[in-house]
Amino acid sequence: MTIAPKAPRKLTMKQRYEALTRDLDWDPSYVAREDVFPHTEFEGIRIHDWSKWEDPFRLTVDAYTKYQAEKDKRLYAVLDGFAQSQGHLSLTEASYLNAMKLFLQGVTPLEYQAHRNFAYLARHLNGPGPRFAALCQSIDEMRHTQTEIHTLSNYNKYYGGFHNYLEQHDRVWYLSVPKSFFDDALSAGPFEFLIAIGFSFEYLLTNLLFVPFMSGASFNGDLPTMTFGFSAQSDESRHMTLGLEAIKFLLEQDEANVPIVQAWIDKWFWRGYRVTGLVAQMLDYMLPRKVMSWKEAFELYFEEQMMKGLFEDLAFYGITPPRHVEDAIGEKEILSHQVYWVLYQFSHAAAFTTSVPDEEHQQWLAETYPDTFERYYKPLWDKERKNIEAGGRHFVRGLPQLCQVCQIPMAFTEPGDPTTICQRESVHKGETFQTCSNGCQWIFEREPEKYVQAWLPVHQIYQGNCGGPTLPDVLQWYGLEDGDGGEYKGSLDDRNWTQWHDAADHSHIGSEA
Amino acid sequence: MAVKSIGTYDFPSRSRQELYGDDQLVHLWFQENPWFCAAACFRAPKAMTWGDFWTALVVPYAEEDPDFDPASPRVWTLHGEQFSPRDDQTLEELGIGHKDVIGMRVVA
Amino acid sequence: MSTTAATRPVGVDIQESETNRSVVEAIEATNDGCTVQHMPGLVRITAPGRLVITRESVEERLGREWETHEFQLAIVSYFGHIKEWDDDEIVIAWDH
Repeated sequence: MTIAPKAPRKLTMKQRYEALTRDLDWDPSYVAREDVFPHTEFEGIRIHDWSKWEDPFRLTVDAYTKYQAEKDKRLYAVLDGFAQSQGHLSLTEASYLNAMKLFLQGVTPLEYQAHRNFAYLARHLNGPGPRFAALCQSIDEMRHTQTEIHTLSNYNKYYGGFHNYLEQHDRVWYLSVPKSFFDDALSAGPFEFLIAIGFSFEYLLTNLLFVPFMSGASFNGDLPTMTFGFSAQSDESRHMTLGLEAIKFLLEQDEANVPIVQAWIDKWFWRGYRVTGLVAQMLDYMLPRKVMSWKEAFELYFEEQMMKGLFEDLAFYGITPPRHVEDAIGEKEILSHQVYWVLYQFSHAAAFTTSVPDEEHQQWLAETYPDTFERYYKPLWDKERKNIEAGGRHFVRGLPQLCQVCQIPMAFTEPGDPTTICQRESVHKGETFQTCSNGCQWIFEREPEKYVQAWLPVHQIYQGNCGGPTLPDVLQWYGLEDGDGGEYKGSLDDRNWTQWHDAADHSHIGSEA
Repeated sequence: MAVKSIGTYDFPSRSRQELYGDDQLVHLWFQENPWFCAAACFRAPKAMTWGDFWTALVVPYAEEDPDFDPASPRVWTLHGEQFSPRDDQTLEELGIGHKDVIGMRVVA
Repeated sequence: MSTTAATRPVGVDIQESETNRSVVEAIEATNDGCTVQHMPGLVRITAPGRLVITRESVEERLGREWETHEFQLAIVSYFGHIKEWDDDEIVIAWDH
């Protein structure tokens, strides 16, 4: 710890916070207030007293920069040590990095989008308290974007799938899932964004989204990711607080806000939950050394902490657990298997690799999911094994039907029936739209004008907007190179990994890649 | 409920039929067959016959399943009702519209 | 399912590190009935209803001055609500 002992202070933390954030605010004298803050009324939210917004962190610019600088110093010391010691060779297996490829392609660009929108909130919210909290979060999100890119760039020197994540985020089919989720929030008003990202994403689902990645890193020898993860998470606790303050503030300001906020919770729980499907398969299928199953993570971080903790607290305001939460709970033993089966069948068009889970892995899956794995999913892997023996693993030879809202291939099943795919259909202005679940259908029908604009990768490919009509055209447009996707066994990463670990002389490592 | 917005909110669908000219999107749902993780989505001319749709689009896709047998008896569903397509009927004649889902179940 | 804010668990996840060992010990000493659980890279401390971190008890174990802002370097996640964060203490509890 290199932080200098603090000088004797005349003001308490509370007074300093008051003086350096709130007291710097002023009332406009020659412009109308609604002209200065034009975006905080159209959503129907009523705020009577912005000064009631509490920020328990009581951060000021000097304290903020001091601690953030310290966090960065610690992280970059770890990154240097890792790079200098050829740390990438101490991972459990090169296939572990598939989780990180997905993170860099799917999550890091969202951090940047969060940076942008919190900067917008820092300008547009009427109260100085929330403006300052949003400003800090905006800078945090930029820091996360940068530290994630720096951290994972070490792997880009040696492994596939990391080199074109930004363009891929805007183009590749599975990345349209997190991208469209966040775009949905970005294109909403400031209060909905606060509930969507500040509350639902950063409080309700954050532990499900981030802690599994970081614990996975810790268990699989990925020291830098673990460090950036914890470094980012330490900001996350402030973000969680912002989200929780936001919801309590809105609920306390006016009773008329309650139904509006409830509808946003209903929408954004399901939107966010669908994105966590990618985390579910990562935990159960992508980590060579398992941390916890999706089911366990869901029970701990969601059912225990949120359903039995947070929602009991919010019940005071008349808030009920999110609509369709029972469907999510009902899926906890099938979600990861369904999502991985999708990724396995389409990874020829992805910037990560997949493989049939081996004996030991399947044993773990059977033990962890005693009611579902052997009954519904093992038969698929048995069949695929025969397929491989007969001539080669398979990939789907075409394009799947996508959900109009979450944009995931329509692989999810009817509540309570893991064998029947859930098909929901809505008609808007004479056009048919399909959704994958009761949750996504409800979201579509609430705001059809918004979701009819969805940039669905399959439809865009068929309209000729993705590089050309053939698969190679599309893959080239995705910026995929040999070694980025497909089957892990025998892939460039797999071959390099074996070669590097068998080699007597390691001095040449990296020059092949 | 309409979208709450700061201005007029009226945008066309990004998947509307006119974007595909004389073609349309058709979904084929492999019911009771988990091998296919999701229904397939094809782009097909409205005037394509069912026979051509089957041999040119469905069969090459479905052959990825090692147990696929094109000769198996099947039950077809459209708009929630069973139907019996003939090879010489076009998609349009069969009432298959843009983005419709055709259910396909192999009779055991 | 009904619990009260007084007993419903709250908790905090702290990075496992040298400095934080003193923080964890201080929390254990300050909060009767808390549970400490070690997870990969993390220490999770939960307590019924309320969890308090005091500057004094951390400084005592750390042997140097510690300002409560420093807790931001330790915390990874929490559940509950941060009710108070001033020069002397941090309190995590549910409101209702």
